[in-house]
Amino acid sequence: MASGATGSIAGSDGRAAAREGQAEDPELRARFEREVLPLLPSLYPAALRMTRNPADAEDLVQETYLRAYRGFSGFREGTNLKAWMYRILTNTFINSYRKRQREPVTVQDDDIEDWFLYDRLGGTATEESAESEVLERIPDEDIRGALEALPEGFRMAVWLADVEGFSYKEIAEILDIPIGTVMSRLHRGRRALEKALWERVRERGLVRD
Amino acid sequence: MSGIDCEHVLKEIELYLDGELDPSVSAQLDQHLATCTPCADRSDFKRRLKLLISERCGCDVPEDLMQKIRARLAAPPH
Repeated sequence: MASGATGSIAGSDGRAAAREGQAEDPELRARFEREVLPLLPSLYPAALRMTRNPADAEDLVQETYLRAYRGFSGFREGTNLKAWMYRILTNTFINSYRKRQREPVTVQDDDIEDWFLYDRLGGTATEESAESEVLERIPDEDIRGALEALPEGFRMAVWLADVEGFSYKEIAEILDIPIGTVMSRLHRGRRALEKALWERVRERGLVRD
Repeated sequence: MSGIDCEHVLKEIELYLDGELDPSVSAQLDQHLATCTPCADRSDFKRRLKLLISERCGCDVPEDLMQKIRARLAAPPH
């Protein structure tokens, strides 16, 4: 594994390149450099939220790039490159990096109503729109913690919608699930997120109840 | 006025904020939210919740990660 550091660079070993089915084509390689590598600042944070630790996130991103590079000749120009990379990232995560430990695959949201957080913050607020002000005072680590506490399928749906702004259709394609499932995961995931945030708001004493 | 009531608006607010409504329905919500403060307040709250994830859950890329990726791409397969 570590011997890769002394390995030949692509292009100096034609057999290796051919075995990988990757671009000996310098133009394709240049395009990968130009268009795919710059997506790293988007993909790494997503990987970190998925794996929940920096070492695994780095591995996941490296593996994702390797797979993408090998398959890049099959990428159809004109389609969404970032969505394509997210799809590889998601598949790589599911196949290789997902913790084998038992994790909940769904959220427990039976008791969470649609305006859970708004109604609770409203009940403690004295001024109009104070609900939104409380949100700004929640520390970053609490928001990350609440997100990372979501089951991975829900976490990814929320990430893709709220951070990347992908459409439901694109999310469905990335996660390989029906659009109805995307909608359900977003709706339920967000409710669970509201409940988790409420618990942190109370623990921090950001509201008086 | 728009023929859409508060209950209907609040039910559609998630799709509205995600940009998933038909433009005509979305325009109806725009209209309603422009004149209905309670609904606008709730809509604003949900919008801020979405922003909370995008603005506060990011992170910097580790300095040497790009270099590691380039090295992996250049290395022959194991």
